[in-house]
Amino acid sequence: MNQSLLVRPARAGVGVVLLAIAVLIASSRPAEAAYAQIEGSGSTWSQVIVNQWITDVSANGIKVTYTGRGSSAGRKAFAAGTTDFGITEVPYQGSGAQGGDDPPPKNRPFSYVPIVAGGTAFTYQVRVGGKMVRNLRLSGDTIAKIFTNKITNWNDPAIAKDNNGTKLPSLKIRPVVRSDGSGTTAQFTAWLDSQHASDWRPFFGRAGLTSYFPRKGNATGANGSDQVMNTIADAAGNGTIGYVEYSYPVNKNFPVVKVLNQSGYYVEPTQYNVAVALTKARIRKDLTQDLLGVYTAQDKRAYPLSSYSYLLLPTGAKDQRMTTSKRQSLADFMFYSLCEGQTKAGKYGYSPLPLNLVQAGFTELSKLKRADPKVNLNDRSVTKCNNPTFVPGNLSANKLAQIAPMPASCDQQGQGPCTTRTGTAPTSVEQVTKASGAGGGSGGSGGASGGDGSAGGASDAPGAGAAIDPETGLPVGSASSGGGAATVAVQTELTAGRAGDDAIFGTLAAVELLAIILAPGVVAVALRRRTRSTTGARS
Amino acid sequence: MTTVLRSEPARVDVDEPRPLATELSGSDRTFVLSTRSIAVTVLVITGGIGLFLAWSAVPTMQRYGLGFLTETQWEPESDKLGIGAVLVGTFTVASVALVVAFPLSLLAALYIAEYAPPGLRAPLTSLVDLMAAVPSLVYGLWGFFLLKPYVADVAHWLHQHLGFIPIFRVDTDPDAAVWDRSAYTASAFLAGLAVAMMVIPMATAVMRQVFSQTPPGEREAAFALGATHWGVVRTVVLPFGRGGIIGGTMLGLGRALGETIAVLLIISPSFDLKFRPLEIGTNTISALIAGRFGEAADTQLAALLAAGFVLFVITLVINSLAAMVVARSRSGAGADA
Repeated sequence: MNQSLLVRPARAGVGVVLLAIAVLIASSRPAEAAYAQIEGSGSTWSQVIVNQWITDVSANGIKVTYTGRGSSAGRKAFAAGTTDFGITEVPYQGSGAQGGDDPPPKNRPFSYVPIVAGGTAFTYQVRVGGKMVRNLRLSGDTIAKIFTNKITNWNDPAIAKDNNGTKLPSLKIRPVVRSDGSGTTAQFTAWLDSQHASDWRPFFGRAGLTSYFPRKGNATGANGSDQVMNTIADAAGNGTIGYVEYSYPVNKNFPVVKVLNQSGYYVEPTQYNVAVALTKARIRKDLTQDLLGVYTAQDKRAYPLSSYSYLLLPTGAKDQRMTTSKRQSLADFMFYSLCEGQTKAGKYGYSPLPLNLVQAGFTELSKLKRADPKVNLNDRSVTKCNNPTFVPGNLSANKLAQIAPMPASCDQQGQGPCTTRTGTAPTSVEQVTKASGAGGGSGGSGGASGGDGSAGGASDAPGAGAAIDPETGLPVGSASSGGGAATVAVQTELTAGRAGDDAIFGTLAAVELLAIILAPGVVAVALRRRTRSTTGARS
Repeated sequence: MTTVLRSEPARVDVDEPRPLATELSGSDRTFVLSTRSIAVTVLVITGGIGLFLAWSAVPTMQRYGLGFLTETQWEPESDKLGIGAVLVGTFTVASVALVVAFPLSLLAALYIAEYAPPGLRAPLTSLVDLMAAVPSLVYGLWGFFLLKPYVADVAHWLHQHLGFIPIFRVDTDPDAAVWDRSAYTASAFLAGLAVAMMVIPMATAVMRQVFSQTPPGEREAAFALGATHWGVVRTVVLPFGRGGIIGGTMLGLGRALGETIAVLLIISPSFDLKFRPLEIGTNTISALIAGRFGEAADTQLAALLAAGFVLFVITLVINSLAAMVVARSRSGAGADA
């Protein structure tokens, strides 16, 4: 068939007509479907996993380009019709209400398709004696006060209290926030506004979430999630803390803050803890999320800042940018992402979608066929997905939430702190269940693969007595003695010099610098003069 | 008492020039017409850009008035848009760039024009011109990856020892046991260093050209009077080239004000009105436009265009001043800059 198509135009000579026929024929046989390149832009929160999916589908001939420019830019580009799809954490915020500037597309029908779940993580760089602290834990209240500039030093008693008395050295806190319009910022500020309004609203000046973090005081802005991560991971990043999706610190091998949840445990945004928390999310009719239940989830394992990320799907039949082959590309890309792609979520620091949302996503994707009957959506079913959340017989249940390990007892408020490293997804289930012991967790046999057992011994449950830290070989102090974790020793502070000396040494240094520059020339001139005068005397 | 005005007698001996027949031949006329229309096209395009920007700035100016120039915050969500802080940041970065680039390019130009052996002159000239051919993004990467780790130490040192001068101040304690390294990076100082690399070739080229145009007669006269080489440079070359020095520097300033991508890469955007180039956080007009353009809708987009118009006017004024200075000086008498 293809060969005849190639030969026929040459024979007939009316290329245009036959090209149209060729397209028609090709699209009627989607097994070798003609894919067209599709372009999208938006969230950097979910960019890591989206890029992985794009690499995966390119093997099947689907070409997708995605630029992470922030959710706001993604929504704007989609509304303006310059991209085929967008990815965003929050829906269009509308304009006018509060002078906002985020109107939904005027003549471009679209729907929100959830693509992946994840946790907004707080990553940081705090060095004690040159060694990075890797097991910091903070309550939501402390986080809110840090980002609203109420807590400005790492030695603040509130931080010490969160870490069961372990005091950090005196070091200015530098919150790193997004300078561009960001869905991560929107998720974070939505949580701040909902749970810590007394800190957030006076700081922000009004109520509600924002995509543009109101940077003030000591805070630093950075463009995009990767730049936030780079700023924190920078050699000059000591004292910084910022918010990004969990995948970024995991990729950089950086620690994340364990955040206190409602039931008094400090938890990390692993795929399990996110899955547990999101069982409390209320999904609206347009599939957008209401996260109030997630913020206040009572489960010991729930990570409060969990959320879904969304794809903006152009569903209109008269969409200016979409063609049959583009719709086919988008549909097959999304089918892969929602189906097979979810198995990769945990490994990359995200959490897979529960099947009811995958099903809802499939329903949205079927609108592509309604818009253009030539799109082939046969043979796509939720049950064929190898989704790690799948519980036979119950689509709305989440396997991960069922098998999620209970937090270690050293992660409980007033206990610990645990000395295990954070930011190393996938968390080994075995490791955590071993340590939790009394946690009463229905740990299961551990669905996660790839956890390394070597670090397992480092977690010391209180009452375990003097455990030996495998890294340092030193006995690890018991929790009651104020957290003897080797990485968080109390610092003695000395000043580096007397302030009065500065002016003198400064002047001296300037003079020396001048001397270094001028001396060779002056010496050369002096030497030449001497030679000249001696030769002059002789002649 | 009346004042009698002395009336000048009509001058009768004024030479009236004989009217010349300026009839052009056909080919000449075609050539003049075509070159003139091309020259006009260039003017129309430049003027069109200015007009377009001015037209786009109108709604913003109507909405925010002159407060647009003084307001420091850029918060599209709370309807507070202004370029006060950004303007200051633009000039801070440009000033740092000029402070670094001016002595370097002046001395480089002097060396190439006066002291370099003739065999070295051509390669050096093309080397400096090559600097202009390096994309600005590369200078941005250079600043970001190569300079950034070290600049914090330099800035900290300056703060520690020269902190009594306000411009070297940073809002942190320089003598702390663990000094706040993060306060000294991503600053206007670092961005200025990268921009300086782009200013140098431009300024050097103009200065070198002017220096090499020094009238040989005057130079030889100075030599004949027994002046040393340095004496010639000081009394003949530098005074003759003063217009070129100023003009080249101002052209460089125009470039520095508009530099975008290198600055965007390096700085940490902030909207504080401050005069502390060593401290983290600044923003320039062009970096603001580049950073916010993608996500701007309606009012913000209009405001960005208005900011672009302000930058256009500033650069236009500076470049015109530079052209005037160069043209009015002796060195520029023969050539327009």
